[in-house]
Amino acid sequence: MSALFDYHALAPELILAFTVMAVLAVDLMPVPKYYAAVTGLVGLFASIIPLLTLALCSELSFCSDNGARLLFGDSYVVDTFSLVLKGLFLVSAFISLLLAVGYVESDRYYQGEYYFLLLASVFGAVVMASSRDLISIFVGLELVSGPAFLLAGWRKGDARSNEAALKFFIVGVLSAAILLFGMSLIYGVTGELTFSGIRAATVGGELPAVFTLGVLFVLMGFAFKVSAVPFHFWTPDTYEGAPTPVTAYLSVGSKAAGFVGLLVICYSAFANMRDIWGPALWIIAVASMTLGNLIAVRQTNVIRLLGYSSIAQGGFMLAPFAVASMVEGVELEGALFATVTYLLFYAFMNLGAFGVVMAGMSKVKSAELSSWSGMAQYAPGLSMLVVIFFFALAGVPPLAGWFAKLVMFQAIISGAPNVWAVLLGVIAAVNAVVAFFYYAKVVKTVWMDSVPVEIPAAELGGSGLNPALALALGITAIATIVTGLFPGVLSFFGEATRTFASGF
Amino acid sequence: MGELVVFVIFAPLALVGALTMVAARNPVHSAMGLLMTLFSVAVFYVSNNGHFIAAVQVIVYAGAIMTLFLFVIMLIGVDSAQDNQEVLPNQRPIAVALGLALLGLVLAAGSQGWVPRGTGSPVNGTIENVSDELFGAWILPFEVTSLLLIIASVGTIALAQFRPRAIAGDEADESAVDGELV
Repeated sequence: MSALFDYHALAPELILAFTVMAVLAVDLMPVPKYYAAVTGLVGLFASIIPLLTLALCSELSFCSDNGARLLFGDSYVVDTFSLVLKGLFLVSAFISLLLAVGYVESDRYYQGEYYFLLLASVFGAVVMASSRDLISIFVGLELVSGPAFLLAGWRKGDARSNEAALKFFIVGVLSAAILLFGMSLIYGVTGELTFSGIRAATVGGELPAVFTLGVLFVLMGFAFKVSAVPFHFWTPDTYEGAPTPVTAYLSVGSKAAGFVGLLVICYSAFANMRDIWGPALWIIAVASMTLGNLIAVRQTNVIRLLGYSSIAQGGFMLAPFAVASMVEGVELEGALFATVTYLLFYAFMNLGAFGVVMAGMSKVKSAELSSWSGMAQYAPGLSMLVVIFFFALAGVPPLAGWFAKLVMFQAIISGAPNVWAVLLGVIAAVNAVVAFFYYAKVVKTVWMDSVPVEIPAAELGGSGLNPALALALGITAIATIVTGLFPGVLSFFGEATRTFASGF
Repeated sequence: MGELVVFVIFAPLALVGALTMVAARNPVHSAMGLLMTLFSVAVFYVSNNGHFIAAVQVIVYAGAIMTLFLFVIMLIGVDSAQDNQEVLPNQRPIAVALGLALLGLVLAAGSQGWVPRGTGSPVNGTIENVSDELFGAWILPFEVTSLLLIIASVGTIALAQFRPRAIAGDEADESAVDGELV
C-alpha cells in the first residue's frame, strides 16, 4: 500500500463517481429534467475514455506501465479482464439510460433520482470488475443491487411494482446473508481476504469440510444474483412488475455483474477448487437452461417470456463453468472466454429486445403477446426489429447470437471425452432448439397473425418513437447485425480476457 | 479459560435472542430479541480484543438503529393485524425440514475439525489501528459504502414521497413542491 494512489488506474471509477453526484446536483437545479440524463450519458462516455488509455497504456507517451496494476495491496486489480468488463458495464449502462429517458419522462416518475440510482448501480458493477478481495467484491455487489431494489419499485402506484421491489429486496438480502456466511467460512479457514491469498492458501493440502461449505454458499449467493435455477423464483415477478427499462438493466447490467463476481471468484480465488464448483455449476446450468426454456414456452406475456429466457440464457453462460473441472490450460481459458464472450453478445441483443418491447408497449399499451399480433401491418419497422433481436437471442445466423452459442458449445466440447461434458452438450443443444421455438413464436405472432379486432386500427401506429429509445434501438440493432456478420469485433475483447483463467 | 466462560454464557443468549427475533408474535419482542443478540455479539468482539468495534456495535446498532426500529414499530402500531395464512399448503413443514437439513449439514461440516489458518498475530483493536486499516488498505470499500448510504437516503425519500397528482405538468414548479402524503 503506497501513500500515492494510481489515479490513472482509478480514473474510470472516479469519473463515474463524480458523474453520479453531478446527476443528483443537476436534478436540483432549475433546468429541464432531461439535463440530468444528459449529464449521466456524458459522464458514462467520459469514463470509457480512461478505459481506452489504460488498455493502450504501453503505447502512450504519458504512461509507460504495462500489464496489470495492483492497488490497495492486491485487493483492487486493473487488468485486461477488468477493463473489458468495465467497458461492457459502461456501454450497457449507456443503452439502459437511453431506454429509460423517454419512459421516466412519460409519467410522473422522479427522474434525477432514477438516473442517479441507475448510475450508482453501474458504479458498483465497475468496482466489482476490479475487486480482488472478499470485502470489496461484496460491497460492490451490494452497490449493484441496492439501487436496483429501489428502481424495481419506481412505479409507486402500481401494486405489481411494489411486489417486484419487495420480492427482489427480500431475496436479495437473503442471498447477501448466504454469501456473507460463505465468505466468513472461507476467511475463517484460510485467514485470507484477497483472492490471491485464498488461492495460495488452498494449493494442495487437505481442506476442512467447512471450506467446501463456504465455497458452495458463495456460489449460491451469486446464483441468486444471476437468477439461476433453483434460485430464480424472484425473477419473473420482478421483471414483470418493475418498470421496463429497469427490467432491461436487471437482465443485462445487474446479471452481468453477478456473472463477473462468479467469474472472478471461481477462476481466481477458487482456482484450486474446480472440483467443487465445476459439478455444482453443472447442475445449476442444466437446471437453469432446461427449466427457463420449458417455462418460457408457455408464457403469454412478452416481458415474462424474456424473463424466463434470461434465466435460460444464464444457464448457457454457466455451462462453460461446468467443464472447467474437466479441462486444463488453453481449454480452461476457453471456458472463461466462452462465458465472457456470451455476456458481451447477450448484452446488446437483450437490451435491444427490451427496447423493442418498450416500443411495442408504447404502441399497443400491453405486453401480452396476443395484443401484439399483426403488428407488422401497422408498424413494419418495429416488427423488423422484433425479428432481429428475437432471432439473435435464438442464435440464428447471421445475427449476433450464433457466435455466442458457438463459443459456448466449443467450450463444452473441449471437455468431450468426459461423459458429463457430452451430456451437457446434448442438453444445451436440445435447449437451444426449444428456445428457438418460443422466440420464433413471438416473430410469428407479429408477422403472420391478424390484428386483434378489439383494437381499433386508427389508434395504432400513431405515436412515433421518442428519440432516445430510437437511438438505443439503433445502436443495439446495428451492434447485433454487425457483430453477427463480423463476430471478431466483440470476440476480440473476449479473447483479451483469456489469460485471466491461467494468469497470476 | 475466561474466554470460554464468556462464550458459554453469551453464545446461548445470542441464539435465544435470534430465535426470539424470528419467532416472537409481538414486533417489540422481536426488536428486544435482536437487541440481545447484538449485545451478545458485542461481548464476543470484546473477548477477541475488538474493543472499538464492540463500542461501535453497542452505540450504533444496539443504540441508534434499535431506537429507530422501535420508533417505526410504534408508529406503524404494535397491534396491526398480521396475516399468517400460508398460500402454499405444507410450505411450513417443508421449510422447517429443509432448514433442519441445512443445519445438520453445517454442523456436520463444522464438526469435522478445522484449524483456522489465521495469521495468529494478536490484533490490537485500538482506534489508531482501525483507522489505519480503514483509511489505508480499505479506503475504496469504505468510500463505496458511503455511496450506499446516499443511495439509501435518496431512495427512501423518492419512494416515500408522493407528489400530489393535481398539479401535474408544471415542470418548473416541480422541485419546489413539497409532496403531501396521499
